[in-house]
Amino acid sequence: MRPLADTLRLVMAAAPGAMLLGTLLSVLVLVMGAALLGLSGWFITATGMAAMAGAVFDVFTPSSGIRFLAVGRAGARYGERLATHDATLRALAALRVDLMRRQLARGFEAMARARAPLALTRITADVDALDGVALRLALPVVAALVTHAFAFVALGWLTTWATAGAVVVFYVAGGGFVLLWLARRAARPSVAGERAAQALRRGAVDMLRGQEDLLVYGRLAEARAALVAQGDEADAAARAVDAAERRAGAWLAFAVTLAAGAALALGGWAVSAGGIGAAEAAIGVFVALALSETLQPLRRGMAELGRMRDAAGRVLAREEDGAETRAAVPDRPGAARLSVEGLGFRRPGALRAVVEGLSFDVRAGETLALTAPSGGGKSTVLGMIAGVLDPTSGTVRLDGRDIVAFDGDLRARVTLVPQRAALVGGSIRENLHLADPGAEEADLWRALEAVALAARVRALGGLDGTLGEGGSGLSGGEARRLVLARGLLRRPRVLLLDEPTEGLDEATAERVLKGLRAALPEAAIVTASHRVAETRSADRVLALGAADGGAGPG
Amino acid sequence: MTPDPSPDAPRPSPAEALAAFEAPARAALARAGALGIVAALLWPVQAYAVAASVHLWAVGTWNPVPGLWLVALFVTAGAARALLEARAGGIAHRAAEALMAAERERLIAAEAARVDRGTNSAAFAALLTQKLPLMVPYLVRYRPAFLRATVVPLTLVALTLPVSWAVALVLLVAIPLIPLFQALVGIAARDASAKQMDEIADLNGLLSERLSALPDLHLLDAGGRALSGFAVRAEALRRRTMAVLRVAFLSSTVLEFFSALGVALVAVYVGFNMLDWIGFGDWGQALTLAQGIFVLMLAPEVFQPLREVSAAWHDKATAEAVARDLAEVHADPGPRALGAGARAAPLPGPATLRVSGASVLRGAEKVPLPDMALSPGQAVALTGSSGTGKSSALLAIAGLVPVAAGRIEVAGRVLDDATADAWRARLAWVPQRVHVPDATLAEALDPRGTGADPAEALAAARAGAVVAGLPEGLATRLGENGAGVSGGEARRLMLARALLARPDVVLADEPTADLDAATAAAVRAALRRLAEGGALVIVATHDPVLVREMDRIVPMPGAARAA
Repeated sequence: MRPLADTLRLVMAAAPGAMLLGTLLSVLVLVMGAALLGLSGWFITATGMAAMAGAVFDVFTPSSGIRFLAVGRAGARYGERLATHDATLRALAALRVDLMRRQLARGFEAMARARAPLALTRITADVDALDGVALRLALPVVAALVTHAFAFVALGWLTTWATAGAVVVFYVAGGGFVLLWLARRAARPSVAGERAAQALRRGAVDMLRGQEDLLVYGRLAEARAALVAQGDEADAAARAVDAAERRAGAWLAFAVTLAAGAALALGGWAVSAGGIGAAEAAIGVFVALALSETLQPLRRGMAELGRMRDAAGRVLAREEDGAETRAAVPDRPGAARLSVEGLGFRRPGALRAVVEGLSFDVRAGETLALTAPSGGGKSTVLGMIAGVLDPTSGTVRLDGRDIVAFDGDLRARVTLVPQRAALVGGSIRENLHLADPGAEEADLWRALEAVALAARVRALGGLDGTLGEGGSGLSGGEARRLVLARGLLRRPRVLLLDEPTEGLDEATAERVLKGLRAALPEAAIVTASHRVAETRSADRVLALGAADGGAGPG
Repeated sequence: MTPDPSPDAPRPSPAEALAAFEAPARAALARAGALGIVAALLWPVQAYAVAASVHLWAVGTWNPVPGLWLVALFVTAGAARALLEARAGGIAHRAAEALMAAERERLIAAEAARVDRGTNSAAFAALLTQKLPLMVPYLVRYRPAFLRATVVPLTLVALTLPVSWAVALVLLVAIPLIPLFQALVGIAARDASAKQMDEIADLNGLLSERLSALPDLHLLDAGGRALSGFAVRAEALRRRTMAVLRVAFLSSTVLEFFSALGVALVAVYVGFNMLDWIGFGDWGQALTLAQGIFVLMLAPEVFQPLREVSAAWHDKATAEAVARDLAEVHADPGPRALGAGARAAPLPGPATLRVSGASVLRGAEKVPLPDMALSPGQAVALTGSSGTGKSSALLAIAGLVPVAAGRIEVAGRVLDDATADAWRARLAWVPQRVHVPDATLAEALDPRGTGADPAEALAAARAGAVVAGLPEGLATRLGENGAGVSGGEARRLMLARALLARPDVVLADEPTADLDAATAAAVRAALRRLAEGGALVIVATHDPVLVREMDRIVPMPGAARAA
């Protein structure tokens, strides 16, 4: 329940004013609705009795009261809808921003894991589920309870305490019991339904992405059948939720009937015993009927409670892998620009270190190519230099200073262009501005020239040419070059390039590497390379595994 | 398989698309609506019980014997109403579910074979798991509510007529006013709600895109900017949506206002009439108290069905939007892969390949394929700079995209729907973009399920060490895009998969990309061995070393833009 409470707090904090207003107006709507029916019933009964007795009766005050309540209720309802939707939209944004902030705080590797479409759809589905926490769950519960408290006091005062008690028992105890039953009953299938929907989504993505493989290996027909079966499973869960919700709905309707029936029976006794008048007894019946409005909105929320709890548990999971901060190693004045000393990395529990005892220096303006068999730790080394991976041993120094000491400033000095870099949908300008929002038109073009992409961008309609989601619209090699241009715009002193020219033909690769160097003549560049073009254009080549004293297997 | 609709058929309007979509469920929905109508008509029975009780109270003759019988009548009718409503909901839900299941199957069939990448996988998944379910509220809520609204209000008005023609008249006048105002405000609301849907989808699209770019944003030090950018965009969305909702909610408020006013008018009229202050509208005698209570209780229920329709109005607009999307998917099935992608007995005869005058479409672009006649045992390199269609040529040879012109003959037969599955049973495939399915590595390596031991193939592809380094070896699930292994490692695994299939034909797209020199050499040797063993090996590559080691070089003719 804790994550759900946390979610609620977060959502409330996003729009406390709108939430409060929404709740107040909800109560007002419910109370005015009950008052309207109660007053109408009283008015008719009292008038009827006055007519029978031939007595004088002031009809104007109650009838203007009825008109006021009728109009006021409609107005309050309008305000309530606006306030609650406004609050929901604010909460929706707050939840998503909070989610992104959490992801940003969780470290580079967690971010990289969450970028898989699978993880993404799960995250969005979870946030969607949480959108209803306030509007469909917390707010109606509070409004209902407050209204029933009002109603209990008013009924006890106007009719009898027995009637007031019966109404509150059938509604709050009876209705509450049914709603809790619904929450319990629907919890499992609502979670299962979401799982099945996720599996269906995963299967759908899997089928289309793997379509070529599935066709070649004659598995497409099976994949189709499996997907259909997955959908049926989701349907079965939805059916179970719906059945529980409908059963609960019938019981809630019955609880309303029983409450009104009790008011009818108790009213009869009270009237015949001379305790209250017929008009007052009528109030009990009509208010009991009108209060049914308090239960209706709760059904949906209760049916989704299990699903919300499940989602909140994942979305608000505590940031588990915020690695503890290392202490900086003292400065070493006069050292080379970038200096790596005794660097090592070993995954927790792994038998073999990915990198061990690696040392090298790179001067300003120098290019070093790291080579290794694939899986040999090149990317790991770049990650450690960029400060996104914590080495298990050794230090990385920049201008003699341990990079740990740079803290947030490291990003301004060191830029890593990873192997799988992402573009975002939007214009080419927007993509480049991610690196430097203040970059001028001319800077952007220079960067594009440097990576031999200017002509292609012009063909796309210039800097305002738009890319689809994730940068679609560019070929693999073009996207690669745009990502490199983006790295250039950071004007870093150390540029780390992970397989920078992958997917480019030989001639283009050479041009791009020359362009990069020309654009940043002063930078220390380290590449993780296995292409001849990349090693040829480097000033030095360092084979990992051979670095720790030259005795490596190569 | 669904029949292809004629491409020239005019696009149906959203309303037409929706009507066509729901046609199979119409009878069941009508049944659900009818049950709902019966349930709603139990209300007058309950109203009678209350009216009679209040009458007994007023005249001071209430006794438990008739009094409690009236309570029992009230409760019984209420229970029956609850049961009937639940039953009606169940029928509607089942009808909707059947409709959804059928449509899902149709969609899956349509997209499985489509090869032009017209829809991306995420859009398809969203249609299947997010948009299609949006039809359910419309079917389950709106349709039965609409039916109820056509019958219940008038029936209840008819029941008030014997009591007072004035009450009936007031209600009768109010009823058409409601749809009128509803229509006026609703038109604006419908456009608005469609827009709101798109915006929320936009926000989620933005969220997942930003999340997937988060590592890069972090490296570019743009994380904070992305957060505030997102917040700004969400705030703009909220403003736009609220502007829309202010109008949209007017529609339901108007309804509520009129129904409240109608009820208040009836209540005031009844009171004044009972006191004989208003003499008209009755049938010669002032209303009795019981009659007054009875009509007062019916009045709100006259408007209730209309309010339900109004509340579900949004569902209808949403369903129309989804129906339009679905109709669009089915209207243009796009180019389809040849064959069904089912298992088939391999095509007999020597695995020869002849391409003559063929071209394929890549979007609007016409990509000509080189003419070639190849026979088993040959190793062939398709060469050409990026964008000349090397990959497209491999796809066409595998029957994964249809040729737009010319022909491809395989094992002496034309490659078409009838022969594609059997031809592919002889193929192995090393794709450029590695997609590791959601399965264990053992399953991924042996997609045809032959049960062969992958050790030898893994060794030949230099992938044995990759497997040994995975936490659960062959039982590891690699997940999307081969996360957990590097690009080069994933490619070696794909090559091992191709070797394990013992194919007669190997199609490999840039098989040495992402590989270090030693591994690339091993891959080249493995491909050569396959050719020496009698397989036809075709690689698309710009790796000059690989090109040199092939027997034949076939340059791509170069792409030409279609007019």
